[in-house]
Amino acid sequence: MDYGNEVGKILENIEKVMIGKEREVTLSLVALLADGHVLLEDVPGVGKTMMVRALSKSLNCDFKRIQFTPDLLPSDVTGVSIYNPKEMVFEFRSGPIFGDIVLADEINRTSPKTQSALLEAMEEMNVTVDGMTKSLQKPFFVMATQNPVDYEGTYPLPEAQLDRFLMKLSMGYPNEADELEMLNRTDREHPIDEIEAVINKEQLLNMQKEVDSLYVDNTVKRYIVQLVSETRKSPYVQLGVSPRGSISLMKAAKAYAYIQKRDYVIPDDIVYLAPYVLSHRVILRPEARYEGVTQSSLITRILEEIDVPVRKELHG
Amino acid sequence: MKKNISLETVSSFILLLAGFLLFWEWIRPLEQITDTGSVHLFVIYTAICFVTSFLTRNGWAKFVIKSFSLLFILDYLFLDATLLSHEWIQTLTLELRYNLAVVWENDWALMTSFFRSFLFLLLLWLMSYLLHYWFMVANKFFLFVVLTFIYLAVLDTYTVYDAQLAMIRTFVVSFLVLGLSRYVKLMNNVDTTDRKKHVWSWMTPVLVIVLFATILGIYSPKLNPQWPDPVPFIQSTAGHVGFSDGPVQKVGYGEDDSQLGGSFVEDDSPVFEVIAHDDIYWRIESKDLYTGKGWERSKELDFQELTNGSVGWSTFSQQVETSSYSAEVRPVNQNQLPKVVYPYGINRISSLGQGQDLFFSDREYGHIEFESSEQNQNLSYNIEYDAPSFEINELRNNSNNDPEDIREQYLQLPDSLPERVSELALEVTEGEDNRYDKAQAIESYFSTNGYVYQIEDVSVPEEGEDYVDQFLFETKVGYCDNFSTSMVVMLRALDIPARWVKGFTGGVEAADQPPLPDDYSLYEVTNNNAHSWVEVYFPESGWVPFEPTSGFTNPTDFYVETSGDVNTEDYMIDDEETEEESEQESSEEEQENEPLNPAENENEVGGANNEEEGNDGNYYWIGAVLFILAILATIIYRKRTELRDWYLLKKWGRLKERLEIEASYVYLLEILEKRGMPRTKGQTLRQYAKEVDQRLGTSEMYDITLAYEEYLYRDQTSSSKDNKRLQGLFQQMIDQILA
Repeated sequence: MDYGNEVGKILENIEKVMIGKEREVTLSLVALLADGHVLLEDVPGVGKTMMVRALSKSLNCDFKRIQFTPDLLPSDVTGVSIYNPKEMVFEFRSGPIFGDIVLADEINRTSPKTQSALLEAMEEMNVTVDGMTKSLQKPFFVMATQNPVDYEGTYPLPEAQLDRFLMKLSMGYPNEADELEMLNRTDREHPIDEIEAVINKEQLLNMQKEVDSLYVDNTVKRYIVQLVSETRKSPYVQLGVSPRGSISLMKAAKAYAYIQKRDYVIPDDIVYLAPYVLSHRVILRPEARYEGVTQSSLITRILEEIDVPVRKELHG
Repeated sequence: MKKNISLETVSSFILLLAGFLLFWEWIRPLEQITDTGSVHLFVIYTAICFVTSFLTRNGWAKFVIKSFSLLFILDYLFLDATLLSHEWIQTLTLELRYNLAVVWENDWALMTSFFRSFLFLLLLWLMSYLLHYWFMVANKFFLFVVLTFIYLAVLDTYTVYDAQLAMIRTFVVSFLVLGLSRYVKLMNNVDTTDRKKHVWSWMTPVLVIVLFATILGIYSPKLNPQWPDPVPFIQSTAGHVGFSDGPVQKVGYGEDDSQLGGSFVEDDSPVFEVIAHDDIYWRIESKDLYTGKGWERSKELDFQELTNGSVGWSTFSQQVETSSYSAEVRPVNQNQLPKVVYPYGINRISSLGQGQDLFFSDREYGHIEFESSEQNQNLSYNIEYDAPSFEINELRNNSNNDPEDIREQYLQLPDSLPERVSELALEVTEGEDNRYDKAQAIESYFSTNGYVYQIEDVSVPEEGEDYVDQFLFETKVGYCDNFSTSMVVMLRALDIPARWVKGFTGGVEAADQPPLPDDYSLYEVTNNNAHSWVEVYFPESGWVPFEPTSGFTNPTDFYVETSGDVNTEDYMIDDEETEEESEQESSEEEQENEPLNPAENENEVGGANNEEEGNDGNYYWIGAVLFILAILATIIYRKRTELRDWYLLKKWGRLKERLEIEASYVYLLEILEKRGMPRTKGQTLRQYAKEVDQRLGTSEMYDITLAYEEYLYRDQTSSSKDNKRLQGLFQQMIDQILA
């Protein structure tokens, strides 16, 4: 827990820009620390870019942005080899994916081919261009945004690819007081310019390592397993949460505990994170929608039904 | 969504319909208990009011509809003129003006039926408004349901209205409506999406249970009324103490004995006073025909005028030893007892009044009545009588040669009499060879075989059931009528002529004794002293009284002649219960006073037979143990919280020693749950701790929970333990919870 205070400072920094979005900011940081990626489903203009920029500035990271459009090609994401006539070689010009923190804007506007280029990079941590495989450097954090699916001209992400995002968030509009405060702050000078780096890349990597080494008791692991397996049994569900979902939930819980300056995970972490981490991983039956059951309400309902462990699990 | 709305409408319609049906039960009896005609119109009007309230919320629309239908009904009932014509309005105003004037003058009786109906319709309007508010707005049904039940019960008890069916209807309707309203209330907290789903899973069991309960209620056997009809009791408390007759179930002399059985209430209103030498039995009449349900006369009464008051008949033959006495009888209220009460051996009766009074008597049944010339009906009379003393050996030696007319009249038994009655009679008298000993055996059989004297909870024989059979084999509890009738029937079954006699026991010596000659006392006889006993026919001695009722003693003298010297005064044998005699005599007065105390009687019964005593003792033990258990259970129930806390604290005392955080925390959860703060299933410990702290105004629970979480979820190698502090926190928390 060497960086306990730094976490607080990062959050404070972003708070300067993002007013009243504490929860989303914290969750994004959780995803970053857990070495995962975030999918933001939201309308334009609610501050997605601003948040990512503030984050990258605080971490002193390289920020890249890809605006997905229908005519965007995979090479526009990954980069291309260009012939250098002077040296008579093909030179690789890296694409925007080679940033530390990448904002993939309106990811569902582009063709599945381009989408999968990004998603493959996210999962495999490398890209293959012209037969050459290039590794991505850590830290690598993608924050993808998508318009709500029922908008015109979108290519919804397939389930398999949704699964690769650690969590799915939604910013939503700020409330009136927050919006007024926002206007006040951006009146003369944008606060983003005032943000200074709190830590550097190396420190961030160390923090990620620390998060990884956090202790998760068997009772809590069992609680996660119980929760996930319940999603597979529910009558409303067509496809339940994958084992990748369980791992993601545990990773996210560790990061959340880390942010809380705790070196062990408690069920409260799980309860808090489960709707964000699990809901985009279940596919509901059509009937569920008619009965007003949504993905996150289903997760909440299951959380109410499974028993939180009260006694220590006896080993052996 | 549309379906849900209609569902709510349907349920509120059903609730309102139920309200209407219940209210209908209120109007329904009016036809029978008042002179109201056209009840159906009132029902229709109520229905209109209910429907209007249901259909519209517009106050004006409701007012217009309800007042117009009110006018229509009034017009239909009372007004001949065309509706709203000039004449019509004139009549209406006339009626109103007249009646308002009447009301103003407080001459309520002069109101016309037009106005009364008008007021009643207004009342219905008001009631329908109130019920609509109760049922639809406030969602309160229970009060009205309870009121309906009370209303029906009161009507059924005090009026001619038979509410049996009404009760069943009300039961079904009200329980269905209570079930439905509960459902509606529950559904208020549930997502609209879930409402429809549960309707039938809720209403089906409600329907099934209500129907099951109703059918079970209708067809299950019911106890007879557990307390006597309250009407005579209230009347008697109110002072209308009267000659109890017919169905009036009050202790006292009554003429109709055709249907015996049923419980009685005590009634200590005095009937007459006597000045006599002893508390002898006072006879009124005998009856000869047993019907299986009670007693009737096989012949008509035939009254003959007594010349000079001398009674020309005797119940026993002249061979019987007698001693002469006289007694003075002063009825308290002639209306109450229009008969002469007389002792055995009556010779002459003479009135103590001024005028010339006539006495009549019926030989056969021993009735004596009189016709007083005086205005004052409370005629006192003097009786000269020769009290009989029966010699036991003489009775034993009596032949069995009963005259034919006696056999014909006093051996009658109904064909329906079960066989086991005569079998029991044979069994009881086994080994006795003469009539006296057989009568004796039956007389004492009851008191030595667990038959209990009581006037409450005595059943009436059902259709097809025999009064005697029921008492002998089923209930084994009863009062004098049960005992005496049973004895007569058993004797007749043995071919011994016997009859059933009614009258009064000797009463109690009055507290204030007037100056009287030696051996004479003033006795007060109350309705409680009404009694019945048995007379057995002996061909040579005549009719001899026997007393089978437990706890009563035959006041008639029986003696055994020893060495030829007749000494009735010194040597008396009272039935068989000689050893009991002294004991009984001392308690005689008390007993006469309270012959209704079954425990006391039972006690004395026990005294007569040791085996029985053991049996009774057992009952006492069981009773005592049950009583103590009941008291213990009550104490435990009332002190349950304290006991539980005591137990919990004791448990904590043990846990504290062991310093086990898990056991302590689980224990904490346990006591919190018992204190009504259970943790819900999905609640994490932290959420729960916050809730508990908020409710108890503490902060320890959260601290404890943090520590416990650390124990539970943290890597044990790195966790630090501060047991002393934690123990303190636990102690504080537990003190807070149990405070």
